[in-house]
This record gives sequence, C-alpha cells and structure tokens, in this order.
Amino acid sequence: MAQPNKFLRNFCIIAHIDHGKSTIADRIMELTGQVSKRDMEEQLLDSMDIERERGITIKLTPVRMYYTADDGNEYEFNLIDTPGHVDFTYEVSRSLAACEGALLVVDATQGIEAQTLANVYLALENDLEIIPVINKIDLASARVDEAKQEIEDIIGLDASYAPCVSAKEGTNIRDILEAVVKYVPPPKGDTEAPLRALIFDSYYDNYKGVILFVRIKDGGVQAGDKIRTFLSDRVYEVVEVGAFAPNLQPKEKLSAGEVGYIAASIKSIQDVAVGDTVTGALCPAKEPLPGYKKVQPVVFCGIYPLDGSKFVDLKEAIMKLQLNDAALIFEPDNSVALGFGFRCGFLGLLHMEIIQERIEREFNLDIITTAPSVSYLVHKTDGTQFYVDNPSHLPAPSDIEYMEEPIVKAEIYSPPEYLGPIMELCQDKRGVYVNMTYIDAHRVRLEYRLPLNEIVYDFFDELKSRTKGYASFDYEVVGYERSKLVKLDILLNGEVCDALSTIVHEDRAYQRGRTLAENLKEAIPRQLFEIPIQAAVGGKIIARETVKAVRKDVLAKCYGGDITRKKKLLEKQKEGKKRMRQVGSVEVPSEVFMEILKTNKK
Amino acid sequence: MAGIYLHIPFCKHKCTYCDFTSFPDRMSIAEAYMACLIREIAQRGKQLERMTFDTVYFGGGTPSYVEPEYIYAAMKQIRKCFRLTEKPEITIEMNPGTVSEKKIAMYKRAGINRFSVGLQTAIDSQLEEIGRIHNVRDYLYCASLLKGENFSADVMIGLKGQTADDVCKTIELAARSGAKHISMYALTPADGTPIYTDYLNGELPDADEVADLYEAGYAKLKEFGFRRYEVSNFCLKGYESRHNLNYWKRGEYIGLGVSASSFINGQRFTNTFDPDEYMKCVISGFPPVIESETVGEKDAKFEFVMLALRTADGISSAAYQKAFGSDWKSDFAQAYEKTKEYLEEDGDSTRIREEYLYVQNSILTEYMNG
Repeated sequence: MAQPNKFLRNFCIIAHIDHGKSTIADRIMELTGQVSKRDMEEQLLDSMDIERERGITIKLTPVRMYYTADDGNEYEFNLIDTPGHVDFTYEVSRSLAACEGALLVVDATQGIEAQTLANVYLALENDLEIIPVINKIDLASARVDEAKQEIEDIIGLDASYAPCVSAKEGTNIRDILEAVVKYVPPPKGDTEAPLRALIFDSYYDNYKGVILFVRIKDGGVQAGDKIRTFLSDRVYEVVEVGAFAPNLQPKEKLSAGEVGYIAASIKSIQDVAVGDTVTGALCPAKEPLPGYKKVQPVVFCGIYPLDGSKFVDLKEAIMKLQLNDAALIFEPDNSVALGFGFRCGFLGLLHMEIIQERIEREFNLDIITTAPSVSYLVHKTDGTQFYVDNPSHLPAPSDIEYMEEPIVKAEIYSPPEYLGPIMELCQDKRGVYVNMTYIDAHRVRLEYRLPLNEIVYDFFDELKSRTKGYASFDYEVVGYERSKLVKLDILLNGEVCDALSTIVHEDRAYQRGRTLAENLKEAIPRQLFEIPIQAAVGGKIIARETVKAVRKDVLAKCYGGDITRKKKLLEKQKEGKKRMRQVGSVEVPSEVFMEILKTNKK
Repeated sequence: MAGIYLHIPFCKHKCTYCDFTSFPDRMSIAEAYMACLIREIAQRGKQLERMTFDTVYFGGGTPSYVEPEYIYAAMKQIRKCFRLTEKPEITIEMNPGTVSEKKIAMYKRAGINRFSVGLQTAIDSQLEEIGRIHNVRDYLYCASLLKGENFSADVMIGLKGQTADDVCKTIELAARSGAKHISMYALTPADGTPIYTDYLNGELPDADEVADLYEAGYAKLKEFGFRRYEVSNFCLKGYESRHNLNYWKRGEYIGLGVSASSFINGQRFTNTFDPDEYMKCVISGFPPVIESETVGEKDAKFEFVMLALRTADGISSAAYQKAFGSDWKSDFAQAYEKTKEYLEEDGDSTRIREEYLYVQNSILTEYMNG
C-alpha cells in the first residue's frame, strides 16, 4: 500500500458569522503568496455578491497553497471553506468529509457561539483534528484567556497551544500555518488502490461542462481516464484534472489525499450527485465511499415574474441557478392571481431568501414570491394519499380524511436567562418540550419538537428578538404527524386570491386570519373603490377589514410651469404601480404576497 | 390662442408654504430686474412676431409689491413687441397687504382687466400662522377697491387647524366681497419650506381631512352659484380664466422673467431661477433658458389628456383629432377601457365623473406610456 503525499494538509475553517473566518482565510492566502494583496478583492473566498454583503459563506470555495514550514519542508495546503449558517449544515458536512483538520476560529471578545458548536461536533464526528484559533486579539475587549478556558470547558480541547491572532492586522498568522503542519495529519488512503473520489461540490462551466470538486481517497485520476459514478452509474472520459489556485489550475494527475477538480464533459449537473463517489470505469472500486444523506427541500414557495411576459427569463434564471445549487428544486406552477411561475423547494428559509435575491440581482428580474409553505401529507377519503406543498392544490375539505404535517427536532442554544421567553415562544408555536441540557453555566441547549409550518413563519425573527439575538437554532425534519389543518383563504373584493392562501392549524386559523386581514389592510394601498378584505376557512368568513376608497389624489395646481413636474410625479406613481399585481379588480403590491409571513400585528 | 406670462419674483415676506421663485430680501434689484424683463419682452417679441396672444398674466412672487409704474412699463412694452388680440385678458396677482387706490388705477391704465387676490383664509390667526402679511380687513379694503371689477380670490385648504367651517367662512367672504372667480387650492407642503416641518410632524390635515375640507368648500361655492370648471378653479358664469384655460387646452405660451416656463412650437423651456444669472443673460442678449425639452408625439398626446381631464369639459374628441389627426379613444384604447367607469360622455367630450375629479392621478397614470 502506497501512502499519499505526507506533505499534504487538507483543512477547513469553522467559525461563527463575524468571527473572522474569511479574513483569516485571506491572510493565510496572502502569507502563502497565493494571492498578492493588491489582487485581492476584499475577502476572496466569499465570491458571491450576496455572500460578501451579508458576510456569510454559502458555497464552498476550496483553494490550494504552498507553505515552507519552519522544519524546512514545503507543504501543500488545501483550504476548504465552510458555510456558517444552519441551512447549510449539509454543505458543511460535505466539506468536512474532504478534510483531516479544522481550524476553529473563536472571537476573543465573544467566545464560542452555539452555531459554531454544532459544526464542531460535526467535525469531531468526522474524526477531524481541531485546532482552536483565537482571533481579534487586537481589540481592547479581547479576553483571550477566558476564550481559551471556554474552549477547554465546552469542547474539551486543549487550547493552550491555540494560536492567538489578529486577522485584521495580520498578527501571528504564521502560527496558524505551523499548527496546521504540526497537528493536522497527512491524508490516509492508498495511492495504488482503485480510484475512489468523493464529490463534495460541483458547478457548471460554460466551456468545460460540469466541474466536479473532489477529494481523492484512493488511487489517482488524470486526463484520458474513463471514470464512472456509483449512484448515477454513468461513464465519462476525463478531459482535465487540476487544483484550486483558487481559480482552476490544470495538473497532470490527482492522487489519493489530494483535493482538486475533474472536468469530464459532463453535460448536466443532475447527472452527478454531490456526495456520490467517482471510480475508474475499467477497474472500479468495489464499494463507494460513505456519502451524504440526499437533500430534501423542506420549504417551498411560488416564484412568479412581476411582469408576466418575463416567464421564460425567469425559467432560464432558475435553471442556471440550479446548475450551481443542486439543492434547489422547481416545477412550473400556475396561479389565478399571479399567472405562470414556479413552485420552488429549498433547504430552509435562508436558502430561499438567497435564491430570491440572486434571481433579482444576477438576472435583473423583478419577482413576486408567495409565503413559504411546507409539504403536507394528505390522506383522502378514497384512501389515496399524496403530498401537497401548494395550498391552492389542496382538495376540498370534504375529500380529506386527515392530514399530516412535517415535524422538526429543534435545538436551541441560549444563555439561561432567556429560557422563559424561548419556552413561551415554542409553546406558542405548538412545540413539544423534549429535553434541556446545561452545557455550562452560560449556555443551555433546549430541545423541542415543533411543526415545521410554524418555523417557516416568523420563528427566527421571534427567537432573535425575544433573546436579544443571543439564541441560535438548528433543526432537522424528523417525520410527519397527524394534525388538524385547514386552508385559510383570503378574499379581496369578494374574490379568493389563491396566492394568499395558506394552510394553518385549525386552532390558529381565526387569529391568523384576523392578523392577516389587518396586515393586508395596511399593505394594500387605497384605490378608487372600497376593498373588503376577508379571511375565510372552508367558505366561512372569519375576519374582515376594509381598505377605504382614496379621496384625494390630485395635484392642486397645474399651470404652465407645472406640466413637466406633474408628468414626472405621475410617472413616479406609475412606477409604483408597476410593483403591483392586478388581482381581480384590486391592485396588490408584490410584497403583499409575503405578508402572510408576519403573524404579528404591525 | 396663446398666452404671455411674466414673473415678478419679489415679496415683502415669504409665506411658510411658498415654493415659488421669490426673493423677499432683494427689492434693491427690482428696478434692474424690471428693466431686464422689458428687454426680454423685446427679445422674445421679435422671435414670436408671427404669433397672436390673447392673454397676459403677471404672476409672482407678488407683482403688486413692486412699483405699479414698472407693471405699466412692462405692459406698454408687451403691446409694442407682441401682437395681442382685440380684447385680451390681462391679469395681475395681488397681495391684499400691498394694494392702494393709486396702484389699482395705474394697473387699469396699463390695461389690466382681471385681478387675482390672495385671500387664502378668512381667519386672521391662520393668516398669521402661514406668514401672510395681510389680514381680513386688508382683504376687504382690497375688494372694495376692486368693486365691479373682474377679480378672483385664492383660497387655501389644508391649513393647520383649519375646519370645514373656516373654509366655508372664507368662501362666503370671497363670494360676498364680489369675487367672480375663486381658486381653492389644497396646500402642498414642499420639501424645504417651513411648513414642511409641520407636515412631517403630522400637524397638517391628512389627505382625507383635506378631502373633507374640499367637499365642504365646494358645497359652499355651489351655494353661491360658482361652477367648478377645473379641479381647483370655480367661477360665476363667463368668468373662467382664459389664461389658465389655455394651459389646460395645451395651448402655447411664452414665459418671461426668472423661472418662467414656455411652451412654443412643441418645445417646453424654462428660464433660470437665479435673478442675477437671468439679468446677465438678458443684458448680453442670450436666452436665459436653463432647461428645454422637445415633447414627442406620445408625450404630447398624454399631456393633452392629462390637462384636459382636469377640466369640467374634459377631452374634446374634435380638438384632439385636430391636434394629432387621430382618435384619442383608439390611441388610449387600453387605458380608456380600464378607466371607462370613472368617465362620462357629453357629446363630443369625455370627462372624469364629478365624484372622481379629486382622485384623478390614479386614473391618469393608466394613460401614461400609451
């Protein structure tokens, strides 16, 4: 058995949002001469605009570097970035599987955060060597010793050797690299065994087709090789292999232990599942590598073009996004109120928001999105059963025997002083208490079973506001449970607006209907006629509000000098109207379709 | 027919709502300014010698604040440089706090036959609040000097603390004092004016309350025999402002003086708002224009509809046909179909139904961009 290159180190960085992960990554790249300072757009790893703006990482971006250590040897580093948000835990687990070590970046002023912890445990499960790094030591409020103590108390890691750095000022970055050399083990594997490479990401390149991001576990691969994927069982000829520098840099060969890419003229991203194993077509390995669980979308919403004629553009945009984001699913949909569009499925609410934002920004399309929904299991009286995620596709109440809704296991981490408000919130959201553990004197882990349908409304916002932002939260769908669910309809001027329909728990229908009617009253501008807004369940009106007719909408004076100004004013008014959708006789602002999200009175 | 507008940018005091080009502290340049205005009249007159004008309008600022001799001289120059119709309508705006018998006599000698008096409100405390220099007594004196003349009174609605009763009182005062024409304007708080702060603080009546005031005022106007012929303009039979009707018929006009706007031969242009720059231009013989746009056909058609729908007579199909050689209902087929229920037909004309005249913007926007 031939060992992989012992001067190779594959590692990732785990950090809470804002703890300085991207800055550290940038400093490491700078120090290894990977990127010269002036070439660097700020924080290189976060390459999407949205990522930079929000300061979060969504997509993994690996990068290869060379470093001459104090022992005189030159090491090859592969740094694989990890997303920080709970929606992307799936992506984190993928990047972890490609590494032997992880840097755990902790903000010296804030200590460990709950969300980070979830990823740390994930890394420990994957047998990764974890190197704590204390960042932001330049700040006056830095409490380095306390941060170290916390790491030892909470995770049980020896933090005495943890590099203490300031990524911002570039202090002690070399300590990190030395620690990587010293503590992250070189990859294991057999360079002479049949090829086994784990696909941990992919994207579509216009010239090369699908680019597979792989970690070679056994064997090697080079251009001209025939490869086969285990799951989809297809054969391709490799056109090019290479490393991330961080741009694609062709290489003669990728060997066991290495991280790199494979281009094999793969036409469609659907043909290669992330998590699948690549092997040789002629001399295949017997077993695939342990993969990941298949991603299941849990949150759904309708996406429609604001301008109905842009349907084709929207379709192209969503398809292109899907090439980069296999977790996004979609199918054509048709709404009476909104016309032709798509029903899309997402990993979570943030994922949904990101996709919506990318459609608007990267494709310059104005869209209307409906409130997020989850997938319900409907049992009909005739004995058949099927899933419904679009409220308007729900059969008539008389045809429904009963329904089931998805339930999540939610883990909430918080300082103990917010326990009361959190439990109250979970209670409000039909939660069932499961367990509570004190991690230490300052942190509690609460476990609840909650209907997913309650979480997709305003759970995040509520949790944040009730705990002053201290609590963090992770969830996982654990199954379906029978529940008394009803369809809540909204009538505008006497007509049902299908895009505003939601499925809610029976006990909530009245309250939600009333809040919704109240919020819609505020959101729908007054028009030339009075507009009744009614909430109804199964044909029974449960709430009513009225948007009064507008009474003054005119420019008082219009003389010689006012004409141009008046035209401009009307144009502005017209622009505002463009953000509206005609629903029956009523003009409805596009944001209104998300109003359902807000269960609180404004 | 075409109109001439002259802007007199001087005031004794700027009112708190005023967004017009006026300079309360620059009376020292009034003489030089008027000299330049007279010069601009000559310059423009030469360019427009083929045109005939039917109305002249002195607006401001406060035209009645400057020496009446200046007005006389300007009017004389107008007659010299422009071709006027036989019986032109010549209007001057007046602040009741600046009038005298002598002034009015001089105006009449200049040929002025219509007076527009800024009454605003019949409540003295409200006049003071908005920074007017006059009170109700000044107005009554002014009205007495104008007895028997064709004069109009400006009334404002939407003032701080104003009630429907206050508006009715004001209308009553204006009507009883002999005004043949009343303009009732809703206050528009413009950014940068002192009253805008009141607006931001929510101290002014809101849109619904203004609508209430408008309705009350309108009812009172009807009571006194005033007919609404435009959104904010009401008059006794035969006393419509010809000068303003010309704007709403999309007629041509030349604007003279700072900030004055013109519409000649499909071209809209505006003079500079800076009096010093204005004078410099005129003295050196350059047009003092800072902004100019050629109105394309589509825009022109929209303007026609937008302006006509302000009036009680509405859109005349024949006039539209004459102006553009097409049928307006086909040009705006979609918008017409969508807004039909808010319109009514009367022979050749189509107008906004009376109850929707005050909410016309959302009707008009349908007509934008075809």
